[in-house]
Amino acid sequence: NSHLEEVQETSGHFSCVDLSFLPDELTQENKDQSVVRSKHEIEENCKTQSQPSRLSLPREKDIGLGLISCSNVSNSHSHLYPGDDDSVQPSLEKPNSMPLVSLTPMTPMTPVAECSGIVPQLQNIVSTVNLACKLDLKKIALHAKNAEYNPKRFAAVIMRIREPRTTALIFSSGKMVCTGAKSEEQSRLAARKYARVVQKLGFPARFLDFKVQNMVGSCDVRFAIRLEGLVLTHQQFSSYEPELFPGLIYRMVKPRIVLLIFVSGKVVLTGAKERSEIYEAFENIYPILKGFKKA
Amino acid sequence: MPGGGRCPDCGSTELVEDSHYSQSQLVCSDCGCVVTEGVLTTTFSDEGNLREVTYSRSTGENEQVSRSQQRGLRRVRDLCRVLQLPSTFEDTAVAYYQQAYRHPGIRAARLQKKEVLVGCCVLITCRQHNWPLTMGTICALLYADLDVFSGTYMQIVKLLGLDVPSLCLADLVKTYCSSFKLFQASPSVPAKYVEDKEKMLSRTLQLVELADETWLVTGRHPLPVITAATFLAWQSLRPSERLRCSLARFCKLADVDLPCPASSRLQELLTVLLRMAEQLAWLQVLRLDKRSVVKHIGDLLQHRHTLVRKAFRDGTAELEGGEKELQGQGLGPGQGKAEAASSSLDLPEGKRPASPALLLPPCMLKPPKRICPPPPISTVTGDEDISDSEIEQYLRTPQEMRDFQKAQAARQAATGVPNPP
Repeated sequence: NSHLEEVQETSGHFSCVDLSFLPDELTQENKDQSVVRSKHEIEENCKTQSQPSRLSLPREKDIGLGLISCSNVSNSHSHLYPGDDDSVQPSLEKPNSMPLVSLTPMTPMTPVAECSGIVPQLQNIVSTVNLACKLDLKKIALHAKNAEYNPKRFAAVIMRIREPRTTALIFSSGKMVCTGAKSEEQSRLAARKYARVVQKLGFPARFLDFKVQNMVGSCDVRFAIRLEGLVLTHQQFSSYEPELFPGLIYRMVKPRIVLLIFVSGKVVLTGAKERSEIYEAFENIYPILKGFKKA
Repeated sequence: MPGGGRCPDCGSTELVEDSHYSQSQLVCSDCGCVVTEGVLTTTFSDEGNLREVTYSRSTGENEQVSRSQQRGLRRVRDLCRVLQLPSTFEDTAVAYYQQAYRHPGIRAARLQKKEVLVGCCVLITCRQHNWPLTMGTICALLYADLDVFSGTYMQIVKLLGLDVPSLCLADLVKTYCSSFKLFQASPSVPAKYVEDKEKMLSRTLQLVELADETWLVTGRHPLPVITAATFLAWQSLRPSERLRCSLARFCKLADVDLPCPASSRLQELLTVLLRMAEQLAWLQVLRLDKRSVVKHIGDLLQHRHTLVRKAFRDGTAELEGGEKELQGQGLGPGQGKAEAASSSLDLPEGKRPASPALLLPPCMLKPPKRICPPPPISTVTGDEDISDSEIEQYLRTPQEMRDFQKAQAARQAATGVPNPP
């Protein structure tokens, strides 16, 4: 259980944890509150029995094998506090009680992949921010080298920077969309750079309501998948139309993520507002896909 | 509430104007007795306490069928008749169209979308009855773009919350093969090319099943696979005269469109057949290639289950680093070569059957186009300082701005386009 040792090494203090992807307005009090809130959520999670997006594996069977139940993955181990070792949720009776360490309560910083050993890679982050001032797009297109403005085609300036390699759509209302970053922090840094460019051009640009709107991740399960079989057993969530698209579109309910599953075993996950949703969605789909490995 | 009315049954004054569809009625809210019903006159004085319910206030507004919806429903029925579908299908498709029309997003959609919606309703009905109708056929009949069709189709399935079963491959094979004009001699089809329908159907079906088993169907458009299978079945039934005929020529004389991917499906299918042939001792000696293997398709299909098991090993086991499944694959004496590269097609010198190839979809057997190195762990926090020089690299100097403006003006003068506002 080497990955569990890694869990123990990552300390339980928040100070060394990178929380920069959190929304700007989150203050210390809010952080504590959300910590308490998420602990309650986990307790509820552990007790729920039926979740449509997960395999209905009997919990006892998993625990009998000494494994952490896959169906409780992203919440269970990472959110319990040190000192709670004995007061572990009753439904998670583990024969070998492993001391559980707390990581950041909001999202695991280094996600521990217990069941699959695969971590989805983030490929694209889309975020929005309000610069809170009216902008003269013609002036921006004239003064900035990295700007494109074609009002007949699209009513916004398309600006690009090299580091982090991103593209921004800047509207005359002062709203901006930033795409192409590979992490939430990079997206925020890029958005700040665009805001600085706009500031340097003489506009009183601010940086309000930065929000990550969408995150896209991808990974490879490294085995071929019988999509026809998957659409039969998970009909209410899947849509597989080979006449239109080679992949299967799986709309997971909890978390609300859309997955594109291909015959080669590559999986694309999108629709997340937080990184943890992508990891959780993948941990949910992995056992389902493994069921179709040998067909 | 009109004043002065009394219910004849219970004598209550609580009379309510209610309409049953668009027929106005005056109903007692205490005992439910219908006091009056549907008057034809509209004069207020004539009716006294009775008033005709105005159209805008009647709940019948949504019950009426608009002209655009009527047109759509007619189109649905027409399409069902053109496709010669059973009459029960018509009613189901019409019901779906009406159901879709209740949604404001559909009611306000463009005419092009409503036209395509007709096709979607018919397609969903056919799928639910396992009637093999492809989207390509419907788009051709409606003169619609597949992109527009696909968008509307996905939207309507989600909107109506429908479970649409997958296209039934076996039925599609039967209807598609039957459309090939090869079963009777004609000026364009010489006698040596004419084939018995049943024989061709059964062989095509076997080839399509083989393709499905060997990962050639998943994720791909079903039709090109069937075209390739039909061609091979037809060729193999009389190889001596038909081997010279190409796939394109075959489709032309059968009066069927040749879908683009069919030639690559054909090559993939032939590769699978060749691998199977390597497992048969008497075929191994012949050193078959992609043309000569066609002559033996009959034999290969007869023993296809055993041959596939022997010719291929479980691809997933290989990728995961070799598991116990390998032993259960019934490997022949060529065990020693099991670690060899899967894509090699070299025939062994001796009489040993070739080492099993990986049973994987073709996309997993091809070498990766480019190796994507995992991105370096980023230590960006999002709060770093942004230096002025970094921002200034993106700004134009005054001289550059003047040059840019001059260039823009020159370009607009040349193309005669007025300056944008």
